[in-house]
Amino acid sequence: MMKGVQMAGRPLYLDMQATSPVDPRVLDAMLPYYMDQFGNPHSRTHMYGWESDEAVEKAREQIAKLIGANAKEIIFTSGATEANNIAIKGVMHFYKEKKKHVITTQTEHKCVLDSCRHLQQEGFEVTYLPVRKDGLVDMDELKAAIRPDTGIISIMTVNNEIGVIQPMAEIGELCRKNKIFLHTDAAQAAGKIPINVDDMKVDLMSLSAHKIYGPKGVGALYMRRRPRVRVEAQMSGGGQERGIRSGTVPTPLAVGMGAACEIAMEEMKHDEKYIRELTDRLYKGITSQLDGVIVNGSMEHRYAGNLNLSFAYVEGESLLMGLKEVAVSSGSACTSASLEPSYVLRALGVEEDMAHTSIRFGIGRFTTKEEIDRAIELTVDQVQKLREMSPLWEMVQEGIDLKSIQWAQH
Amino acid sequence: MAASAGEVRHLFRALLREASRFSNYNVREYVKRRAIDAFHQYRDQSDPAVVDAAFKRGLQQLEIARRQSLVYSLYGPRVKSIMDLRSSK
Repeated sequence: MMKGVQMAGRPLYLDMQATSPVDPRVLDAMLPYYMDQFGNPHSRTHMYGWESDEAVEKAREQIAKLIGANAKEIIFTSGATEANNIAIKGVMHFYKEKKKHVITTQTEHKCVLDSCRHLQQEGFEVTYLPVRKDGLVDMDELKAAIRPDTGIISIMTVNNEIGVIQPMAEIGELCRKNKIFLHTDAAQAAGKIPINVDDMKVDLMSLSAHKIYGPKGVGALYMRRRPRVRVEAQMSGGGQERGIRSGTVPTPLAVGMGAACEIAMEEMKHDEKYIRELTDRLYKGITSQLDGVIVNGSMEHRYAGNLNLSFAYVEGESLLMGLKEVAVSSGSACTSASLEPSYVLRALGVEEDMAHTSIRFGIGRFTTKEEIDRAIELTVDQVQKLREMSPLWEMVQEGIDLKSIQWAQH
Repeated sequence: MAASAGEVRHLFRALLREASRFSNYNVREYVKRRAIDAFHQYRDQSDPAVVDAAFKRGLQQLEIARRQSLVYSLYGPRVKSIMDLRSSK
């Protein structure tokens, strides 16, 4: 019994964008560093330190390999949020004499938007680019927003709420031409779609371990060395991680992230095919039994494991209450505390009522076909129940155009 | 020295057996599914070097599965996944 909800069993988990389960192979790699091999990797004088350092450096290599980078370009952080902070604030603070302008999109993760707001308070100028109806950045609008004093452009590779994949190679090309640093939040992308920092022409990239079946509490920032990107450190201390991020590198977490990246690289093709099949099954299963189901975001440029659906004439909160046997979310975990409809969906131009009924299904490596079938059953059931109770639905069935109604005051 | 057909079959059965020992529904299903897919992938492989490398890898995965099925059983929650409870609508 939790939060007033009685449950016989643990719900089936379809919220992979919020977080993912730790892969048993990752846990296996991490455990020794919580037991006998507990040394601090920065201890120079004994075996405990040396073996810990060796493990951290191996993990660094594994992460670099996943994104086509050099190990020297990987900095361990506490997660993608910290990496985003270092990238955006760090770059602009370092180059603040000459560069005063930042460009980002309205659909970025809260930590990117908040970092930009922080910079605005310090006197920098920020352009929050709108996106198209399908969630993609308009290249012409991006070109138009560039100024001579633009220091950095930050655009996430795969959106956490709607799963849309941005045209990073094209954006990278544009940034190179204009000599602007390109940062991308690749937390939802790395390990899931093929990523190469040289193909994308990206200068900074944020990575998160717990999105790819790794442990929570660790992430990484990729910083290009040729041509070099400089940042002002956001954490003061002993100068670890090349002076960019002070603090003891948490060996077991770093090892976990490394293992997760290596496994992701090996399993990417297999996972991608499997997840795509499941997502198609989920989508077809729901839309074959329900009308008025809209996919939020481009169908073409999307990561298969993220399916964000809006159900017309259904109230979102009640839909989620009814789906207690399926762990899903509406919008992003970062904004679901408030009742405010998702700003990402608002940026897509989704109408208020449809934005409120959005459900994000997150499918991953460990999802089973049976879970998908159960989710389809429960979702269709709940939506039909709610629609039957809805007078609006009744009116729509009778052919009344809701937009033409003059609602009277009581 | 290449693995014999019998050894390969033994490894496959051992992996499936270990999969069934996982208390966690999703991990159990994954190990089973992944083992089946992996063996299918190399079924028609004729190059002995490739088969041998895959076999060695399979042995490593079996060791990991053995350790982790034990760990998961020690720390698994009392409440099972609804997928494991044969409840209908």
